[in-house]
Amino acid sequence: MDMWKEILPSWSAIGEMLIPALVVGLGAIGTYLMLPHRHGVARPRVLFGAGAVAAGLGLLGFVAFWSPPGPVLPTVFLYIFGVTSVIGAVLTITSRDPVASALWFASVVLSTSGLFLLADAPFLAAGTIIVYAGAVVVTFLFVIMLAQMEGKADYDRAARSPAMATVISFLVLWCLVYSVATVRTGPPGDESPMGRLAHEDALHRSYNLETFLGDSDEPVIHQALTPTAQISEPPPPPDPSAPVDRPSGRAEKPNVAGLGASLYSDHLVTAGIAGALLFVALIGCVAITNPRRPIRPGHDPAQVAAVGSIRP
Amino acid sequence: MPTTDHGFFVNNAWLIPFFPLLGALIAAAAGRQLRGLAHIPVVAGIGLAFLVSLGTFASAGPEVTAVASNWMTFSGLDVPIEMRVDGLSTMMMSMVTFVSCLVAIFAIGYMSGDPGYPRFFALIGLFVFSMTGLVLSNNYLLTYVFWEGVGACSYLLIGFWYARPSAAAAAMKAFLVNRVGDFGFAIAIFWLWTVMPGHDLSYGAVFEAARATDPVIIQHSAIVGISLLFFWGATAKSAQIPLYTWLPDAMEGPTPVSALIHAATMVTAGVYLIARSMPMISLAPGVQIVIAVTGCLTALLSAAIALTQFDLKRVMAYSTVSQLGYMFMALGSGVGDVAQLAVVAAMFHLFTHAFFKALLFLASGSVMHAMGDVIDMRRFGGLRNRMPVTYWTFAVGAVGLIALPPFSGFFSKDEILGAIGAVAGATHVARELHLSWSWVYNVIYLLAILTAFLTAFYTSRAFFMTFWGPEKLPSPDDPEVAGMADAHGHDAHSADAHGHGHHEIGHESPLVMTVPLMILAGCTVLIGFICLLTWPVAGGPVEWFDRHMEKTLAFETLGTAEHGFSIVTALLGTAVGVGGIWLAYVMYGKPSPLPGRVRAASGPLYQASLNKFYVDEIYGILVVGPLRAIAWLSGIFDDYVVDRLVTGIALIPRAIARARLAATQNGLIQHYAAGSAISVALLLVVIVFGIGALAVVLGVLAILLYIGSRPRSAAVTTAPRVIKADGDI
Amino acid sequence: MPATDVFSLDVLRDYLLIGAALFALGMLGFLSRRNLIVMFLSAEMMLQGTALSLVAFGRYHGNWTGQVFTIMILTVAACEASIALALIVILYNRRSSLDVTLWQDIREEGVAATPTSVVAEEAEPIEAIPGPESYPNLTPAGVEPAHPVQPWIVTRD
Repeated sequence: MDMWKEILPSWSAIGEMLIPALVVGLGAIGTYLMLPHRHGVARPRVLFGAGAVAAGLGLLGFVAFWSPPGPVLPTVFLYIFGVTSVIGAVLTITSRDPVASALWFASVVLSTSGLFLLADAPFLAAGTIIVYAGAVVVTFLFVIMLAQMEGKADYDRAARSPAMATVISFLVLWCLVYSVATVRTGPPGDESPMGRLAHEDALHRSYNLETFLGDSDEPVIHQALTPTAQISEPPPPPDPSAPVDRPSGRAEKPNVAGLGASLYSDHLVTAGIAGALLFVALIGCVAITNPRRPIRPGHDPAQVAAVGSIRP
Repeated sequence: MPTTDHGFFVNNAWLIPFFPLLGALIAAAAGRQLRGLAHIPVVAGIGLAFLVSLGTFASAGPEVTAVASNWMTFSGLDVPIEMRVDGLSTMMMSMVTFVSCLVAIFAIGYMSGDPGYPRFFALIGLFVFSMTGLVLSNNYLLTYVFWEGVGACSYLLIGFWYARPSAAAAAMKAFLVNRVGDFGFAIAIFWLWTVMPGHDLSYGAVFEAARATDPVIIQHSAIVGISLLFFWGATAKSAQIPLYTWLPDAMEGPTPVSALIHAATMVTAGVYLIARSMPMISLAPGVQIVIAVTGCLTALLSAAIALTQFDLKRVMAYSTVSQLGYMFMALGSGVGDVAQLAVVAAMFHLFTHAFFKALLFLASGSVMHAMGDVIDMRRFGGLRNRMPVTYWTFAVGAVGLIALPPFSGFFSKDEILGAIGAVAGATHVARELHLSWSWVYNVIYLLAILTAFLTAFYTSRAFFMTFWGPEKLPSPDDPEVAGMADAHGHDAHSADAHGHGHHEIGHESPLVMTVPLMILAGCTVLIGFICLLTWPVAGGPVEWFDRHMEKTLAFETLGTAEHGFSIVTALLGTAVGVGGIWLAYVMYGKPSPLPGRVRAASGPLYQASLNKFYVDEIYGILVVGPLRAIAWLSGIFDDYVVDRLVTGIALIPRAIARARLAATQNGLIQHYAAGSAISVALLLVVIVFGIGALAVVLGVLAILLYIGSRPRSAAVTTAPRVIKADGDI
Repeated sequence: MPATDVFSLDVLRDYLLIGAALFALGMLGFLSRRNLIVMFLSAEMMLQGTALSLVAFGRYHGNWTGQVFTIMILTVAACEASIALALIVILYNRRSSLDVTLWQDIREEGVAATPTSVVAEEAEPIEAIPGPESYPNLTPAGVEPAHPVQPWIVTRD
């Protein structure tokens, strides 16, 4: 009997496994129904509606995994942005019309930017809005206008093997949600790093990542889930001239200045590589979209000039 | 590492190898543009190197070093690129760069019109770079690097006319034989590395450790072994028994290359190594006997071969081997308190030999050039009126080689004979050797005298056959060619690859070729006169050279004693020289039946000498044949076992892929993306839930896949989603 | 002892969950949709999810690395978008269609092409919009201006 106890997971563990599975499964079924595909004689709008209901229930369960950050305003905005981003994501991939997809994607980007703001990353929030919503999405729309067929194309109404794709994707999501959502803080009052993770049996459930990823003194997950200021050596004694009531772990400089200082000092090579990447992409675009097709052996130059392009 | 200021030239001693290298690089890089002017950077580079090495002369000292850069430092091995500027290296460098410069100038005329003109000069520059680097470097490892560089350059230059099979074969032979020797040198360095404290391979440290007696750092057996291995390496590079066979073949390269190899840049390396290591080798008198005996046998054997050769360059080649044998004889007799005298004698002979051997080779090249690349002495003769400059300069070189007073060769050979004689007559040798081995040196002394006689004979023979007698120019219908076709037939196929056939046969060479000859002849005479003039002042003919050599590292540790000028030896040497000349004159000075009679009388002995005592054939049977058989067997094994195995194993995944996996490669991007996504999902499952969950998930996926691939309705089955491709395996 | 950070482990977990959801939904879109443009939008969405996780981790650890990495992701996304759109334009010019199934030329030799005819069979039926098609009717406002006799570009100088 004891042997079975050891082998079989406990009821609570099964529950921890099953609740995310239920939530993710609901979302999967809903998203599957929402994807454009022929399902016998069923009417698409009905299926879409049913899928939306199922996915909404799944989203509600998903939201239940979240924990409020504390203060009212951040809590409200976190929930708003989180929910809109997930809803936008679902609609981006299920819309029949690419224009609608692009617009829903813009909403995802806007929500994400809001989440960036909540995470004290105003520069990235602005940058994401400008680059994505401002430039990329607009360019996408432009290309859609340029390259869209008359009416609704068949291929926009037929997803490729939606069942398999849904299963794969939501399997990934299930693993992620299970491993992330079950990380709980320790009992209130125990603020030590190990105390926070003492009740975290997810780490010890089936794999000891310590042995899996290396023979460090502390579990790797522990390092990843602990603020840097606490796992490294204690911070230097505070400068008396500096204001004392800084939040923990924040850098000394104001946000954007600190980011710039870090980017151009610690990560200078990263910035250089990013610049080089952009430059190469620029050259690549120009080279790809060159309207003149190369004249290959066997092509009559006059014919090429007359036709303009040769359909393969 | 303390760096003290020794003046501009020593601090910048790295310029000496650098200038030829720079010239070589320029000639190689811009050869296409320079074409016929490709010699300019190389000649200028070697000339500048000569000037710098002259500059280092004054500041030379036993402990003068200059660090150019740090080569490698790891795990206790510290190898700086350090130059040692002492008496030995400055002497060698000045000689090398000077002779090389003259040879390069000579080659301007000799090589003109050759399609590989820039390549030739680039390689010459590289050759000089390697040799100067070898001489300059201050530790065995760096020496070894340049040692290999010299070998590689010699390979490239001997095989310069690589289209000619004999040249390619000669280059290969030189390279392979040298590899055998390099192996010994490498083992010696490894051994030294293991026994040296701190793995310091610099000369100073090695000699100090070898001499240390309290406590003993290097065991005596190690000293003996390392010295023997050094000599092994030197036998290949300096063409001694048993590894001398590559040198006579090496004249397949252009004549200036032969001059360079024989005089300055290649064969001297072995002698230099032994002379450099003398402070260590002199601690092992047994090894010295080996060196002396080897040198003596080499000298005698090659002189005996040279007696009967008809190829002018080949005679000179065997003469080089013989003279190198002299140098090793001298180094081998440096036992006990004769050591300093022996080193000075060997190095002085190396020094003088470089001049007159370069001279002789270049003069031979001049003859060959004028005779339309014919080098067989039976096909020309009596050239003294047609080629006066070559005639006179060759005469000077020949007399130098024969060692008649007051030419330089006389003093150097006399010094060597004196050293051997001093050892032979000394009582301490028996004490040093713990055996009554000193009689060996008596035999060596006699054989050396005999070799001197042979030297005089074959040199004069070549001289008389080429320049005296009735005038005769090579012509295709030469009756002697058909009847006396030589085994090697060198000249038969040399003209086709050599590109400079523009000139008429039988004219004196251009000025650019004769001037170096005259300079070299002048030097041969001049060194002799320096010896003569400084004799009364310094107390000995070679005292001036000795003074310079005393600035060599650890030279003072070698034994020394007063050895006066031996009048007996001098007279004996001169007498055998004159005798040899007289005999040659009688036989070859004018047409006479004597050579034929001698040939008939000596019979098989003559044939053996003509065929080089069949050494090449013996090597062919003993070494080359078995190696070829092993190579053939390995080839069979490689072809039929290793290759079959590899291709067979490679067939397995190929077949599997063709049978099963090819169908999944349907070209759809999303298919591939789905593959990677599944992999990510499964990896996550394994990490989060453990390996057991993988089976569950895989089972679920398989069920889903089965459901998904089932034909759904009659309408859909008519158009299956994926057409199975069956017949294309 | 530093003051307790408002950005606690729980908040980090929220961000990670949202990031994971975006990533998985983007993956689903990339795997299942046939339209090239929607596929690329999905790929961008995966990048967004990753960026969200990175920013949250950076904020949680109190350093800038997450944001710097997100800037790198932004750059990559911009490059990817530009190249992808250029490719889409080219491909559309060649086949007059954005169906990704049309581009399967890299398949293994001997493997039959996946037919594109099934698309029409798998596509969901178009439902008629109930009622007549109607457009907004704008009330004319003000007086219609006089049309210029000549194009304004010409009359400009």
